Amino acid sequence: MDPATCPDWGGRLRTRRPLTEPVRRVTGLLWSLAIGTKQPIAAACDIDDVQQSWQGDSDAYRRLIERHQEHVSKIMWRFSRNIQTHEELVQDVFVEAYMGLRSYRQKAPFEHWLARIATRIGYRYWKAQERRRDTEAFTLEEWDLIPDEPVEEMDPSRAAALVHRLLEKLRPRDRLVLTLRYLEGCDVAQTAQRTGWTKSMVKVQALRARKRLEDLLTQTAEEAEE
Amino acid sequence: MNNKSKFEALIARARSEQAPSVDVAGRVIDILTAEQTLFEPVCDRPLIWLAAFSSAVAVPVVVAAIIVYQAWVYPLYELSQAVSWVIQ
Repeated sequence: MDPATCPDWGGRLRTRRPLTEPVRRVTGLLWSLAIGTKQPIAAACDIDDVQQSWQGDSDAYRRLIERHQEHVSKIMWRFSRNIQTHEELVQDVFVEAYMGLRSYRQKAPFEHWLARIATRIGYRYWKAQERRRDTEAFTLEEWDLIPDEPVEEMDPSRAAALVHRLLEKLRPRDRLVLTLRYLEGCDVAQTAQRTGWTKSMVKVQALRARKRLEDLLTQTAEEAEE
Repeated sequence: MNNKSKFEALIARARSEQAPSVDVAGRVIDILTAEQTLFEPVCDRPLIWLAAFSSAVAVPVVVAAIIVYQAWVYPLYELSQAVSWVIQ
C-alpha cells in the first residue's frame, strides 16, 4: 500500500488537521531536496500515526501495522521458513516496536526503523535456536540434486529453502551478515545500520563468513564425491 | 558449475521469492491491550503524575532537612572550619 495515500482505516474518530498535513508534506519534501538526501524522510502519515500511537490511540498503531506488515513479513521469512514461527516473529516485531516507539526519532523512514528491530529479533531467534540445537542438518542429497535442473528455472521458494538450509550450518553471526549482504542485497552501510555493528566490523564479519561458507561448500562437495 | 557459482545462482533465484502474507494487526493490538497500561493516554494516569510531583518536592525537602540537621547538631561547625582554615 502506498503510504503517501495515508488511508483512513475507519478506526476511532479522530480530528484530522486538513491544513497542517499538506503543509508538513510539502515542507518535508522541500527539506529533503534542500539537504540533498537520497534517503526518503519518514512519510507524513507514519509520523502522524506514530504520534497518535504515543498518545494511546490503538487504531493509529493498527494502521501502522497494516501498512508495514508485508515488509516485515518479507524480512522475517529469511529468519524462519516455518509459517507459524514466521507469524510469531512478525508479531514480536510489532509488539517490541510499540514498546520502543518513543525512541523512534523520525529522522529515517519508519520502515527502516522497523527493519532494524526485525533484524534484531530474527538474530535473537537464531541464537536461541542454536542454543537449543534446533536446526535440522542439511542433507547432501539436496545439494547434489541442484545440477540436475538449471537453477534459473528453479522455483524461487525451493531455491530460497535450499539457501536457508545451507546457511543454517553456519553460526548465527555469519548467517546474519550473509543473509543481509546476499539475500537482502544490503551494502556495508545498510548492513551496519540493520545490525548495529560498525562498518569495519561488518566488513570483517562478511569476510570471515564468506570464508566459512566456501569451506562449507568445499566440504559438501568433497563429501558428495566420496 | 562450481559450488560458488551454483550458490550465487541460487541466491539470485531466492531473492525473487514472495514471503507469505500475514495479518497480525488484530493479535498485536490484543497483546498490547492486554498489558493494562498500554494505550492509555499518559494524562489518564493521575497516580503517575502524583508520584512524579511528590518526588520532585521530596528531593529539595530532604536536602534542606540534612542542612538543618547539620546546623542543629553542630551549631559551630562552620565557625570551627573557618578558624581551622585561618590557623593553617
